[in-house]
Amino acid sequence: MTANTANRGSQNDSQRAIIRSILRPVGAVTVGLLLVAVFIGASGYNVPQAFSALFIGATGLQLVPFKVNMFPLAQSLAQTAPLLFTGAAIAFALRAGLFNIGAQGQMVGGALATAVVGAWEPSLYSPLHIALCLVAGGIAGGLVGALAGLLKAYRHVHEVLSTIMLNYILADAADYLVTNGLKEHNSMAPQTIKIAHTAYLSPFVSGSGLNAGLLLAVAAAIAVALQIKYTALGFRIRAVGENPDAASASGINVPHVLTTTMFISGFLAGLAGAVLVLGLEHRYIKGMTGTYGFDGISVALLGGASSVGVSIAALFFGGLTSGAGYMSLQTNVPDSIAVVVQAAVVLFAGARALPWRRRQNHTLKTNAATIAGAGGDAAGE
Amino acid sequence: MSELIMSLTWGTLYYATPLTLAAMGGVLSEKAGVVNIALEGFILSGAFAGVCAADVTSKYGVIISGLVGILAAIMIGAVLGFLHAFLTQKTRMDHVVSGLGINLLASGATQYLYLHEYPQGLSVTGIPRWMFLVAALVLPFAVQLLLVRTHWGLKLRAVGESREGASMAGVSALPVRFAAVTLSGVLAALGGAYLSLADDHNFSTDVSAGKGYIALAAVIFGKWNPLGAAGGALFFGFFYALQTELQIRHISAHFLGISWTNSFLLDMLPYIMTIVALTSVIGKAVPPADLGKEEATD
Repeated sequence: MTANTANRGSQNDSQRAIIRSILRPVGAVTVGLLLVAVFIGASGYNVPQAFSALFIGATGLQLVPFKVNMFPLAQSLAQTAPLLFTGAAIAFALRAGLFNIGAQGQMVGGALATAVVGAWEPSLYSPLHIALCLVAGGIAGGLVGALAGLLKAYRHVHEVLSTIMLNYILADAADYLVTNGLKEHNSMAPQTIKIAHTAYLSPFVSGSGLNAGLLLAVAAAIAVALQIKYTALGFRIRAVGENPDAASASGINVPHVLTTTMFISGFLAGLAGAVLVLGLEHRYIKGMTGTYGFDGISVALLGGASSVGVSIAALFFGGLTSGAGYMSLQTNVPDSIAVVVQAAVVLFAGARALPWRRRQNHTLKTNAATIAGAGGDAAGE
Repeated sequence: MSELIMSLTWGTLYYATPLTLAAMGGVLSEKAGVVNIALEGFILSGAFAGVCAADVTSKYGVIISGLVGILAAIMIGAVLGFLHAFLTQKTRMDHVVSGLGINLLASGATQYLYLHEYPQGLSVTGIPRWMFLVAALVLPFAVQLLLVRTHWGLKLRAVGESREGASMAGVSALPVRFAAVTLSGVLAALGGAYLSLADDHNFSTDVSAGKGYIALAAVIFGKWNPLGAAGGALFFGFFYALQTELQIRHISAHFLGISWTNSFLLDMLPYIMTIVALTSVIGKAVPPADLGKEEATD
């Protein structure tokens, strides 16, 4: 009897959880866009005009008269690729309960390593050279991530603090290298030499930044989702994310899982830097990594734990960034308005995307079995 | 030589001023158990609100406009601090997420408003720098007294160490945390007002440039103690001052093929030192026990 009620309760719960997991991000985005409308309207711009420019810039779809512009669409998709990498990186670390704020620094490390390996000219078979560059970028990012993981695992340094610091350290180190040792000799600009042509990712739509990087990002997002779901390591990662004490008690080497998770997360973020170098700039230029690493936090929080969610969120923010640029050209509305949408999304969707929050929500349900379990759980926290 | 030492000393003090103000906010908030990476957003908003209000009231004279600027910074700091307290305490949002959201909001909104309202830039008379310096010199002692000698300070430390323990002793965490985090917003925003009103006399969209995170680093470096945090701010301020002096004087030192006086390398030091401090290699840096923990609201 009690078991029956408990069962029905948890079924309702999971249904409600699914509905919530769709409604919350949609609500957050709506609130964000409304906030933007208020901002734009209050400062005297024509709101419908600005929003239609934002829409055209993001999707390339012009409704009256109906026309599809390939270029804006390609630009939005091009923005999506690095965001999907960094978003997937952060979402992946969240599964182990780690909040990787350091995707930005990991991406810088990845971009720099890619530029170095890419500039190497042994006239390799092109796909091989590209693969080599990607691996170099991934490993560089992964090592930066693993450092934060090691600090967390063995010295109990909170990953949020260490990755914030590592972001600055990596940015400074990269700036130092491209103005000194790795600088292109006969140029005034702070940049490395161009990579070899064999390492170029060529654009799908000419002139745009859309290239195979997007396909790689989708593949990577799917790969880590499968890894989390079906491999032993994925199981251990989930176990550590749910309850590190219980995981440790059941024989899981928690420090090892934390370090590995941060390495993989950093690897993905490093790939974001790699595709920017291989597909877009063809070299490392100071400041080229923009804020994709930080934007990845919004992507991960909006997208939640699933790879589909993260992909949709990356697509949304990619379109938003590129659409805001177009809107700014057309209507003079400053494109920093896109950051306001990001803020709204983080503040409205963010908190609930974290696994430990989900768990707590769950334990609050009026369900005898869960409540009994919740006592131990709360003590574990 | 003595002239170099003098300008290094003054440089250190002035670079440390905004860091100290924000770091005191950080100490109050974190001692009460609320993680505060929103300091960055508080600084940026305070800088913009201050300079904006001073510009609007500039026709009423320097003193009025300076005062209004400070008041505006205090107000925006209080509002955002209250928001951080509300999100973390009432909606039980993760402290880091709330901080990140506030930082994004501050960054997006100030950039948007600045570009829209002042496409030609702006310039204000502002406030003399020494006023903020005096505040930054006095404040760490005041915060220390507040924490150690007053009843409220005891309550604040109690809710930061163990919310449940405090509640058993009849201390309700919510009002204390709301007050502490709101106050932290005010102090960090004043640090921002220093940057815009006293230092630059204008606004630039990246004026905070990570100073909130450095202030947080100073808090950790000073082991969550107000005087220690001020020491941390001075220490980090020294590296900024050193960079400036080395650049002005064209001093450089090469060793093992690396230019050790390079500004990027010197800029890295505070961050490396912070990680080293956190690894507890040199003395243990122990955060307040209840820092960032979330319990059910009352």
